[in-house]
Amino acid sequence: MEAYIGEYASGKSEVAVNRAIFLARSGRRVNLVDLDIVEPCYTLRPIKKKLTEMGINVVAWETREMMGLGETGCIFHPANRWALKLSGDVILDIGYGVEGAKTLNLVEGAASDPDLKIFAVVNVARPMTGSVEEIVQYVRTLGKVDGLINNSHLGDETTMEFIQEGARIVGEAARQLGIPVVATTALEELARVIGTHDAAGHPVWPIKRYMPQTLW
Amino acid sequence: MPDKPIEGEKRVFMTGNEVVAWAALVAGADIMYGYPITPQNEIMHYWTRLAPKFGREFLQTEDELSAGFTTIGGVLAGRKAFTATAGPGNTLMQEPMSMAEAMRLPTVVVIQQRGGPSTATVIYSQQEVTMTTLGGNGEGLRIVYSTANHQELFDYTIKAFNTAWKYRFPTFVLGDGYQAKMRESLTIYDPASRGIELVEAEPFLGKPGVPGVDRPPTQLRNTYNVEEELYEVLEGYFKDYEKIAPEVAEHEAFGLEDADLVVVSHGVVSRACKAAVKELREGGIKVGYFRPITLRPLPVDAIRETASKARQFLVVESANGQLARLLKEVAYGCPVEMLSLFKPGVGITAEDVVSRVKEIAG
Repeated sequence: MEAYIGEYASGKSEVAVNRAIFLARSGRRVNLVDLDIVEPCYTLRPIKKKLTEMGINVVAWETREMMGLGETGCIFHPANRWALKLSGDVILDIGYGVEGAKTLNLVEGAASDPDLKIFAVVNVARPMTGSVEEIVQYVRTLGKVDGLINNSHLGDETTMEFIQEGARIVGEAARQLGIPVVATTALEELARVIGTHDAAGHPVWPIKRYMPQTLW
Repeated sequence: MPDKPIEGEKRVFMTGNEVVAWAALVAGADIMYGYPITPQNEIMHYWTRLAPKFGREFLQTEDELSAGFTTIGGVLAGRKAFTATAGPGNTLMQEPMSMAEAMRLPTVVVIQQRGGPSTATVIYSQQEVTMTTLGGNGEGLRIVYSTANHQELFDYTIKAFNTAWKYRFPTFVLGDGYQAKMRESLTIYDPASRGIELVEAEPFLGKPGVPGVDRPPTQLRNTYNVEEELYEVLEGYFKDYEKIAPEVAEHEAFGLEDADLVVVSHGVVSRACKAAVKELREGGIKVGYFRPITLRPLPVDAIRETASKARQFLVVESANGQLARLLKEVAYGCPVEMLSLFKPGVGITAEDVVSRVKEIAG
């Protein structure tokens, strides 16, 4: 069970979606849970069907089941509350920045389940998490975090050097926080060049970009 | 407290709303007044996170009427003040911005358009063009920049403060929900590192000296006793506006020299149009691309020149002809035929534009 949290637009959903697909392709039973309660189902809505076809159980609101998206508050999906009781792997995609991390309080067992790992996704191209000091400060506001994911990129302009620089910065922040860097993500083409581990020794997770097909 | 929000320049990856907050910061904005509305919320969120680090301020007001009027208050006190809103919030903002027009105050407002009428969708549209350019019970004495990407959101938000304080007309940056929430890379920079000089703010009220003796008295009025009084003031304003319009107006264009048909759009839709025109030209179809960057004032000479040479304009927008209406007024008398691709409240892709052009070409 893994929960992905982090700064707004840090790449939480992209990492969570890729992780769910990776696990499903290795033959595991996977549940992907949309825990964005500010803009629920906006994010995953356009690719929900595709993910379902890949055999992933996507736990998220259907747009037509909802109203008042975005600003009027919404009803917490009942299935989300019990997400950790689902059988199989559970990937929680937790939306909307610092406040989003508190959403975990709504999930039954999140505070006590020893199997739940909470990973903070960090992109050093985002100015508020651009340096070691800023990342350390930021992650400390999130509550319990079990590891960092180096998701440093510049969209279409991402280079291997940029990812490696991210690995160095995120690695140092993780050292100061006393937690591991679980992985460095890289688009498949770049991941092939980097190899199985980045320059700082963190495992590399090759990813595809699914989020450009989504809204927001 | 760090001196400058950004030293030199930095390549970053952000959402459009964050871009606006950073741009306001480096433009020297002193205070944001705001009331939450999607899709502009993160402008406030990021401003409230960033502002305290650099000695800037924020006030959340009880609604958009109040956010607009407090922005005016900040400006009167000589602060670079701004606000941001969308949709129904923009509607409420028209009353204070109309007052800013009357008093010639350099307010800055960032609009992230959402679907309309009324609360409609929180997502996206280009349906706030009429309101942002000509809203309020006035004459549209304002400046409106329509941005198309994150780099422009950054550049033009900085520019909006300078334009407002230089010319003393309320200035708007017109974005939309897609630009607000979309993520892309851009270069953020310290304006000084690019040779951009920030226009200094100065108080309108409470200046030193005795009014009428040491300095001319400050007269800021939005109420007049008789028609002639108002008429005289407005005539002066129109003259000022007409004089600055050619300096302020901006546009971008290509492929006009041999084009029968010119695709005209603004804002985020022009990204699709640009891609479509490039693709069509590569395929041997002679089409041109024209995009007004300022929707108020419009680049009148460039539009009339283009409308005199081209046979057809294809106006493309995520509204039911709000840009087209502005263009028709400017191009009045030019022989150009006005064709359209309107998708109010819905995004437009390059494929949409290509197929519409092919349909027209037959």
